[in-house]
Amino acid sequence: MSSEAEPESAADPSEESAVDPTAPDLDEEPVEADDRPPVTERPVVLSVRDLHKRYGALEAVRGVSFEIHEGETYGLLGPNGAGKTTTISMVCGLLTRDTGEVTLDGKAIDVGEVAAKAGIGYVPQELAIYPDLSARENLVFFGRLYGLGGSQLKDRVREVLALIGLTERAGDRIETFSGGMQRRLNIGIGLLHRPRLLLLDEPTVGVDPQSRNAILESVAALGRQGMAILYTTHYLEEAERLCDRVGIIDGGEIRAEGTTRDLVASIGERDRVRLSVSGNVAAAAAAVRAVDGVQEVGEHSDQLEILVANARGLLTRILSAAEGAGAVVRGVDVIEPDLEAVFLHLTGRALRDSAE
Amino acid sequence: MSALRIALLIAAKDLRQRFRDRSALIFAIVAPLGLALIFSRLIGPSAAFHATWVVTDLDGGELAMVLRNDVLGGVARAGVADVTDAPTEEAARAAVANGDADSAFIIPQGFTSASESGRPVTREIGGSRPRGLATDVARAVAARFGEGVVGIQLAVATVGELSGAPLSAADHQRIAQAAAAAPPPVAVVEVTTDLRALDLATFFSASMAILFLFFSAQAGLLSVFAERRQGTLRRILAAPVGPGTILVGKLLGAFAMSLVAMTTLVIATTVLIGASWGPPAGVAALLFAAIVAALGVSALVISFAKSEAAAGNATAAVGITLAIVGGTFAPSAQAPEAFATLSLFTPHGWFLRGLGDLHGAGGGIATAAPAVVVLLVMGLVTGAIGVLRARRLVAP
Repeated sequence: MSSEAEPESAADPSEESAVDPTAPDLDEEPVEADDRPPVTERPVVLSVRDLHKRYGALEAVRGVSFEIHEGETYGLLGPNGAGKTTTISMVCGLLTRDTGEVTLDGKAIDVGEVAAKAGIGYVPQELAIYPDLSARENLVFFGRLYGLGGSQLKDRVREVLALIGLTERAGDRIETFSGGMQRRLNIGIGLLHRPRLLLLDEPTVGVDPQSRNAILESVAALGRQGMAILYTTHYLEEAERLCDRVGIIDGGEIRAEGTTRDLVASIGERDRVRLSVSGNVAAAAAAVRAVDGVQEVGEHSDQLEILVANARGLLTRILSAAEGAGAVVRGVDVIEPDLEAVFLHLTGRALRDSAE
Repeated sequence: MSALRIALLIAAKDLRQRFRDRSALIFAIVAPLGLALIFSRLIGPSAAFHATWVVTDLDGGELAMVLRNDVLGGVARAGVADVTDAPTEEAARAAVANGDADSAFIIPQGFTSASESGRPVTREIGGSRPRGLATDVARAVAARFGEGVVGIQLAVATVGELSGAPLSAADHQRIAQAAAAAPPPVAVVEVTTDLRALDLATFFSASMAILFLFFSAQAGLLSVFAERRQGTLRRILAAPVGPGTILVGKLLGAFAMSLVAMTTLVIATTVLIGASWGPPAGVAALLFAAIVAALGVSALVISFAKSEAAAGNATAAVGITLAIVGGTFAPSAQAPEAFATLSLFTPHGWFLRGLGDLHGAGGGIATAAPAVVVLLVMGLVTGAIGVLRARRLVAP
């Protein structure tokens, strides 16, 4: 599942950013991508092989394997409970694995391998900062944990504060920050020591749109600068926008891996029809499923997600079948194939609903 | 970066957070200082017993002189009471009524001769009701003297009975003097009066300090749960930091906070309350050992807890119980024997005992060595078990 596609993660410059004016324009930072080989031909930074983790009867992770190359942003896309956080916890040595192997630049990573963790920057899903310390104090503390000191630490703190747009608030206590500002600091701490591998565990959950956009811009810039990034999310648009390659994970397994383009291609050129219905939804789903040419039907509370080869040709028959089964059709959307369609194809469920 | 430097880094961060948290400072310094001040002021004046007695000697005999000069005079020389003379019974009673004296001793005419001849003797003790304790003490002194007189009368009567003939006045006097000179068959000898004699200001300063020392130590160690709750523990563990290093850092932070709090309390109570802690080197050794003990016991208690709330409740309950048993609310000398013995199973009891030893005869650092050693052993044993058990709290 290799890809020659370049990152699709360029930030939309028209979107308003929450980064303060003192922050450098991330889009104007040197972009080396043009001069570099395709991501999968670059040196492997992280190698994950056949990870397994069981909690009693529940096998949370089942044989997960993937690699991340220098400058590559790899997305683990899946709903809550799919095994993303368990996987990322094993990758950064926070959780003991049952079997499998994780290496960073060829060196084993495990719970007991304390020194090897220095090459990893970890941004947990929940905020992990000291609210009674200032932004600068938080950065200095974590920077020193990674061995930074003196002018190097001072410089990096200044750079990261600028990057996350908190220069003006550096001396303020975190408890006075907005949620978005705290999120940005949460990420900034992970970047401080210039890690070889940055692990971002759903960093935009609960973030306002403005801050979310700023975070995505920052991550995209880091990828362009050559950092290897593992990004877990259940937001399709983030995976499509940021990630060079995406691994779709569900039930503890990676069901498919590749660029967005590869993944969409792998399920065929199919359209998705979304019907908003009321009445007998189950009967409508069964009737639509019986329509010749309909490949899959996902049923939700008041919606039917229908995969077809040619939406225009079948739309009339689909509507007739749904209404004939006693449902009232209140809305119709025809959607281009994307990762949501891939997920639906692979799991039989819509990611949006699974993620809730 | 070495593990020790990382542990110190964590300790410094914890210390900074504790100082930012004003409630922690209030708990560690202001509360014990305030309580020590209140206790020493409330209990101090009444507990430092002193009486004013007035004596009217209507007898003027030898035995009356003994009572006036030797018995009551001895009490006065010990600083327990002021004793003044009144020329008449009316004057003595008026002194009590006016509040110039707490109690009055009226020695009736014929007191000496009656005592020597074996006739009944009456002494009058007058006291004012508001000064009941002073009157009770006066009554006890008179009663003890009366027992001696009864012994003399018994000796005179026995000799008279055995001789079968009437005794002359000279005989009475000779027998009475011989009986008075005889040593008592049972004597209580006080050999420890100068040991463990903390004044109330010092006692309450020390007891409140050791009581709140446990809370201060616990607060530092409970920050492990706070780190877990706010996700920072997970983040630290994702860095090149081992779980053991985090625990050491937490212990160092709690130690530093406790040391700051105790040192502040020693200085503040000395200046504000007039506490007399003793030789600085000895006090420093005791404080160090007490902090080690508090950290050890707290680590052990916390290692059994499954949640922050459970740990907080358990450490508070254990801290208060040890404080009560250890005699922090009342000097163990005033407690039943069983309590005094039980207090030796607590760091609090040994801390107060060590301070008392520093104030005793000799008063050198060496006198507090037993308490220091016991406190260190308590702390190191409980701490070692606690840290081993608490590793699960900081496991990834």
